[in-house]
Amino acid sequence: MTAGAIAAEPLGVACPMDLGWRYASGAAMERFLAGLRERRIEALRCDGCGRRYLPPRPLCGDCRLPLDRWVPVAAAGTLEAWSVYRLPILDGRTGEPRPTPYGIGLVRLDGADTTINHLLAETDPGRLRIGLRVRAVWREELRGALDDILHFEVAR
Amino acid sequence: MIVEGRVQIPFRYAAGAAASRFGAALRDERRILGARCTGCDRVLCPPGPFCGSCGGAAGAAVEVGPGATLLAWTELPDRGAFALVRLDGADGALAHRLVDVPEPRVGMRLRARFAPERGGDIRDIEGFGAEGIER
Amino acid sequence: MSAVAIIGTGQTRHASRRDDVSQPELVREAAEAALADAAVGPDEVDAVLLANMELFEGRALPELWAGAGAFAAGKPCMKVATGGTSGTSGCIAAFHQVAAGLFDLVLVVGFEKHSEGHSQTGMALTDPFWDRAVASGALGNFALSISQYVAERGATAEQAALVAVKARRNAARNPHAHLRMGDLTVEEVLSSRMLADPVRLLDMCPQSDGACAIVVASAAAARRRSRRPAWVLAAETRHEQPYIGDIDRRLVTMRTLRDAARVAYRRAGIGDPLTDLDVAEIYEPVSYAELAWYEALGFCADGDAGRLVEEGVTGMEGELPVNPSGGVLSSNPVGASGVIRVAEAALQIHGRGGERQVEGARLALATGYGVYAWADAVVLGAEAGAT
Ligand SMILES: [Zn+2]
Ligand SMILES: [Zn+2]
Repeated sequence: MTAGAIAAEPLGVACPMDLGWRYASGAAMERFLAGLRERRIEALRCDGCGRRYLPPRPLCGDCRLPLDRWVPVAAAGTLEAWSVYRLPILDGRTGEPRPTPYGIGLVRLDGADTTINHLLAETDPGRLRIGLRVRAVWREELRGALDDILHFEVAR
Repeated sequence: MIVEGRVQIPFRYAAGAAASRFGAALRDERRILGARCTGCDRVLCPPGPFCGSCGGAAGAAVEVGPGATLLAWTELPDRGAFALVRLDGADGALAHRLVDVPEPRVGMRLRARFAPERGGDIRDIEGFGAEGIER
Repeated sequence: MSAVAIIGTGQTRHASRRDDVSQPELVREAAEAALADAAVGPDEVDAVLLANMELFEGRALPELWAGAGAFAAGKPCMKVATGGTSGTSGCIAAFHQVAAGLFDLVLVVGFEKHSEGHSQTGMALTDPFWDRAVASGALGNFALSISQYVAERGATAEQAALVAVKARRNAARNPHAHLRMGDLTVEEVLSSRMLADPVRLLDMCPQSDGACAIVVASAAAARRRSRRPAWVLAAETRHEQPYIGDIDRRLVTMRTLRDAARVAYRRAGIGDPLTDLDVAEIYEPVSYAELAWYEALGFCADGDAGRLVEEGVTGMEGELPVNPSGGVLSSNPVGASGVIRVAEAALQIHGRGGERQVEGARLALATGYGVYAWADAVVLGAEAGAT
């Protein structure tokens, strides 16, 4: 096709990229993140379908209605899905490899109807199952970010 | 509220057939290779991989330059002068830097300056200097 | 909507690294093959549609350079990007353009060069507030949903391994495929490295460099140029809410794929997909997903997917061969993968599947899957439908 056969050696160009990012949270997320600093979790409830959304967002995707009714949510809930992750993956916040293994789960917090995706303290698959009660383990110094919750631990 | 962060990603791109031949000639022989378009016979430099006029593929290698003519230029803050040049023997325009061109003007004669250390890509040409000014 | 057909397909050799070609050259390889297959010259193409996943190659304006590979200069050209469905959505966008009477011949090219970037990190750069601190990419998302699917439907690791073996053995008959493992066994899948419980290395798709193209034609152009066009009988696409926790038991409910398939079957006059369809090319990035898709696509009752694969119903000799090409489990250049599904389904209708041809295929399904947020369903037939 092209003159490909003539080049004996396929060359390449290395372009390591260092990207900074900076995002505005918007009003609903700002209230939620500010609440985390005080260990307070809140969801937005849809007047149309009654669904209590975490993450809170300005619009119900199913009803297409604006959301503004805040409802309290507990820092404990039920494990709805889980896995133990063993593949080295880069942390989306830093680009650094995340230590493995680590637990991941979908947790339905008491008072919310959606589940949230988060990390689990437990890494033994034999001790994890759907339906377990779990609770949030908070960071010492709260910063107003989702990782103010370090992970969820199984409530004993 | 604003959330900030930083991430590093190690991209590496394959030059492909046409650009590999161009890069190897620059690196090993300080020669600039264009390519004759298999569709319309124009001499492409940069050499493809595809002709901007007819979409044809880059064909036989044709040596071009190192002399060139300045087609357009601008001065970029912090980055020096940026230009479009036509290498002698080529039909297209190559985007590159101007070095040692005290008073650029469209139509003036230029000459490619090769980098002392060369790795096989376009950076092996440091830029284009005014013809007659040697370093 | 007026009738639309696929009259040519072409694809590259897919591999973990294609260092011999640049992105535009990879695109050209597929575009030239499809145009040659359709006996259409580059100048005869009215418009070009490109499909590619954002961020994987970290390159600005990939469509500009890829467009050169697809002969797009001077023509209408745009790109579709909807995650894993980019390819099927790109094909559907071309069907819409031709059906609307805008163009007679449209070239669609999907492409991806995973080797040039870091796809895991690309996938991890999702929502900065909810995903970056905790997300574990496509594999993590799947592993979570699979835990729910397994708990509710009773699917086993052995059944998933049978899917993985079927895919790689089929791929051995496909010269374009990346992972061609004609001798792979269930035991090898079950003893491969655990990546994220219960997903093992051989349950998961590879990351491939590759491109695939199709030529879409109006009814008049198709009848004039092709002896056996693959007619588009239905093409449906559905989007979902944005967050993984929004969807109740995703692999179990799978409303995007269920809705897209239900409407596509109705438009194509399909009553029972298992008996009516001759072949299916479905987008299964992980072995367990194929089981979940069988149920969402109505190939069997909910909970019965494992039996289908155990009894060979979806094998090459079964009632409904699924993924004769080897599927996404054998080749996954993401932006191309959806186009590959549509192209492989068309190839079966064209009767040009070579060693992977399903004898006498006249009705074929292709699907696309994009994270949990999109699903596409396309039905192709040997006869133009009453549209
Ligand atoms: Zn609602
Ligand atoms: Zn040309």
